[in-house]
Formats: sequence, C-alpha cells, structure tokens
Amino acid sequence: MTFVGLIARNIISRPLRAVLTASAVAIGVMAVVALGVLTTSLKETATQILDVGNADFTIAQKNSSDIINGTIDAEDIAAIGTIPGVERAVGALISTDAYDESNPLVIEVGLAPADQGPFGVNILDGESYGPDATDQVMLGYVLAKQIGKKVGDTVTVDGHDYQVTGLYRTNISFGNSTMMFPLSYLQGANRLSGQVTLGFVQVAKGADIKKIRATIDGDYQQLTTIETAEDFGRADRNLTLIGAANTGGSLLAGLIAVTGVLNTSLLSFFERIREFGIYRSIGWSRSRVIALVLGEAIVVSIVGAAVGVFLGWGAINVLENLKQLKGIFTPTYDAAIFGRSLGFGLVVAFLGALYPALRAAFVAPITAVRRE
Amino acid sequence: MSSTTPPTDSPGIVVRNVSKRYGRTVALDHVDLEVARGEFAVLAGPSGSGKSTLLNLLAALEKPDTGTIEVGGHLLGRHARHLNHLRRVEVGLVFQLHNLIPRLTALENIEAAMFGTHHGRKARVARAHELLDRLDLSHRANERPPTMSGGERQRVAVARALANEPEVILADEPTGSLDDESADLVLDLFDELRAGGATILAVSHDARLDRRGDRIVSITDLNCAVQ
Repeated sequence: MTFVGLIARNIISRPLRAVLTASAVAIGVMAVVALGVLTTSLKETATQILDVGNADFTIAQKNSSDIINGTIDAEDIAAIGTIPGVERAVGALISTDAYDESNPLVIEVGLAPADQGPFGVNILDGESYGPDATDQVMLGYVLAKQIGKKVGDTVTVDGHDYQVTGLYRTNISFGNSTMMFPLSYLQGANRLSGQVTLGFVQVAKGADIKKIRATIDGDYQQLTTIETAEDFGRADRNLTLIGAANTGGSLLAGLIAVTGVLNTSLLSFFERIREFGIYRSIGWSRSRVIALVLGEAIVVSIVGAAVGVFLGWGAINVLENLKQLKGIFTPTYDAAIFGRSLGFGLVVAFLGALYPALRAAFVAPITAVRRE
Repeated sequence: MSSTTPPTDSPGIVVRNVSKRYGRTVALDHVDLEVARGEFAVLAGPSGSGKSTLLNLLAALEKPDTGTIEVGGHLLGRHARHLNHLRRVEVGLVFQLHNLIPRLTALENIEAAMFGTHHGRKARVARAHELLDRLDLSHRANERPPTMSGGERQRVAVARALANEPEVILADEPTGSLDDESADLVLDLFDELRAGGATILAVSHDARLDRRGDRIVSITDLNCAVQ
C-alpha cells in the first residue's frame, strides 16, 4: 500500500462523503465554466463589431453605458470622412426589435446601400433595398434560415410588412443574424433623423492611425474612438458590468463550494478523530496527517471539477438554445476557462479541507486513543 | 519476583520523580523506575493504579506534570519531530484495545506504521508479511479488523508495534485476549526481541506473562498515589 493508495482507499470506503464533496465542487465548477463561457462569448460578440468592414477603428458616443444605444450626428461621420488620412467613414444605425416568440431580440442595422460594400456586406441572393424604400429589408442568411424566409417573401416586424429583397453575409458571425434596412427609413422609424449609432473608419494606406484618432478625440469631444477590445471596455460599461457579474458569480460559486467541502470534511473529521489519533500515536507527523486529509479532498475535488466541466458544457448548451440569447450568444470555448476551472477545484479543495486537516493534525494521540 | 530495585546495567527506560494528575485525580505521584536494556519487566497492580498512564507517558502520548523520562537513551522533550520519531521508530506500543484502523486490512495496518521510515513499499510489505507469519496470521493478512477475532486483532496490534524493530516495547495487556497457543507465539517473539537487546515493559494481569518476565514491578510500590 502506498500513501496515494491509502488516500484512494479512504475515499472509496466513504462513497457518500466523497460524492457530497465532489458534488459541491462540481456545482461550483459548473457555475464558473458556464459564467466564464457566457461572459467570454458575449464580450467576443460585442467586440466583433470592431471588425466590421475591416474598419481600422470605430467611433461611438462618449460616456455611454451601452455604445449600441449611443447616438452620433451623421454629419459628424461625414466630416470625419474628409479628415486627411481617412479613406472612408461609414455611419450605421443599430436598433433592436422583436420578430416572433422564437426570436424576441433581433438586431436591425440601418445602412445606406452605397455603404454596404465598405461595411463588409456581401449579398448572397437577390439585391439591395432601395435607398429610400420604406417596405424593403435584407436578411442575414442565418436569420433567414431561422425564420424560414427567402428573397421575395414578406416579413412582418412590429406590425409592418417588408419584402425581402436580398440575403447577405458579413465578415462577423453575429452580423449574419441581423436584418438590414435603408438608413433613412430606420432613422425615421426610430425617430432618430440624421443620427447613427456607430461610425466605422478606414484610414488610407500609410496614414498614422494614432494621429487620426487623436485628431477626432480632440475635435469631437462628444465622441470616442475605439480600436481595441480594451478601448471597447472603457467606452461600453456593459462589458465591465458583465465582467464584474462573472467575477461576483464565480466568487459566490466558490464560496458555496468551499462551504460544501468544509462541511463534509469537518463531518468526516469528527467521525475519524480516533483514526487520526492512532496515526499520531504510531508516529505519523502532523504534516503527513495534513497531507492525507488534503490529498483526499484534492482527489475528490479533481473528480468533482471534471464532472463540473461536463455539467458546465451542458448548461452552456441550454443557454445557447434560450430564445433570449439567440443570435447574440455563440459559445466560445477558451482553454483558459477549463484551466481556471481545474484551478478553482484545487483551490476549493484546499480552502475547504485546510481547517479539518489542521484539526486532524492537532488531535492529541492520547485523547484519540481513549475515545471509544 | 516482585522488585523495585533498578538494574545495574545500562537502562532502556528511566523514570525520575514523575507525577501526572487529571483534574483533581492524582494518577501518578513521584514515580521512579528503571528498566535495563534487554530486560523484560512486567508492571503489575490493581485497576486504576496508573499502569496505563505510565505506559502512555513512556510512549510520549502525553506529557508528565513533573519529572523526567528517558526511553532508549533519549530524554523525552517537547520537540514534536523528536516525539514523532520516538513513537514511530524507538518505541513499539501495543494498545490494550488494539486501536487498529478498521478500514485497512491487517497487512495495511502494519504497513501504515512504517510510513515515514526508510522502508520502501516492497520492504514494508515484506516486513508486514514476516510479522504476520511469525504470529500465525498469514492467512488473515487481507482481512479487516471487524472481521477478525479479538485474539487475531491483538496479534495484529503486536505486529504493528514491532514493525519498525523498536528498541523499547511497551505493551498494555498484550496477551489479555489470547488463548495459550497464541499467547506463546507473542511471548516467544518477545523473548527473541529481548535476546536481541530490546527492552520490554508490559502491563499485565496475566500469569503467563509474569512467568516469562525477568521481574515483576508492582506499581503500588512505585506510586505514592496508590500507597
């Protein structure tokens, strides 16, 4: 029998305790995996907007809690297009609407037909809507498939009928789940005449992006330029809130898991006081007793973490199919999330079993030997 | 054969002026005792006279209130590492109530006493088998204590105490639940160890043990608390 064999023997001989401890860890890890994947995926979806039309940077309203809800004067975007070094500046209006019960949140993009090419819109079937049309729409091919529509069909949004003139693909995945209207029409429908939500800027070859950004940030105090995900996080407080919710949720899950491990380990300690006393009375050091208790907790927690990752994957599948998240949540499985989950399991095991392990190590041999 | 005269040769156990009390109860009062190296002493006395308490102090399971104790030439101090080494290697303690780990087999109970020594896994297993064989328990090596008789458990407890070839063996009623044949196996082993230089102090009410010991020490002669 090796020391590791003794650890395994102790775990197997108390299956209920092992299952309870593993369950506490599994629930915690499931929450960490699900929250981690959800947060990472939502952040990725949100920051994908930076890649629209291969723009070098994006322009948004400064100090907005959610840049998708910000407004920018379309004339400002046109003026930015004339700054030396700027190749092109495209303004787009973004809003959301409900389509049906299965698609309660559909992203609508208002874009002038002339800006579709620079915006990265590739028409797969049919043709663009007219620049001033009021009853025409284009559908991203993923959305079209979801709602079962093709070119020539009619879609009804908010009580208004639109004829589908074309299906398109964009260079970002969530763009394929959007619907697109003429900019002027969507501005009118949202009572945002002359306004856009975001501007997408492409600079001329060899131009200094930093200098152009500094010019815009200096000349347009109400606007902010976004080039990286970090810039996006600063401009859009929703991402910060999502990150904070993830951290808070993970900490809470950790606390629950630690409490679970502590509870079962402490119960196990009280059942095994005499056993620990015997180990001490035959010369086991305190560190060996601690290693035994922590070793048992760590092995059980690793098993729990593995089960938790599997449960987390299941939870993500459930979330992915929630109609409220359709189109905006595409799971991104980052290896770091699974690494963090394993680390989480080990930390939970250590924190939950440390106190019982110390109590076991400090059992007086004589007290335990007399305990019958 | 009852005597309190200390042997003249090098002592394996030296107890000087040791007292121990539990609350208001005085268990040991200014006890002095010497047991020579290679001597087999039997500690006798009525129940509650402090025999087990003295054994526990000698095994460093608890500390005396006053006085000093030397075991195998080592003065028992308060340093934890030293005490662990003493319990693991220097002293073999046979508990009156066996104190085996019920989840582990007889073989594993003996092996567990050898964790932390220089013995590798194979050496631990070989030593455990050797002891079980000597005590006629080879056929019970893979049984767990709850499925064994009291006598078998007692012999496993003796085997565990001898696992690390201790210089000093402290045994609390080591033949108490053994039939004559099994008691002879244990006592023959004690004789062999004594011949090899081991010091043995056994608490007993068993005449078979008294006959094998070099001398019988009466606790009532040592302990002022019961005089």
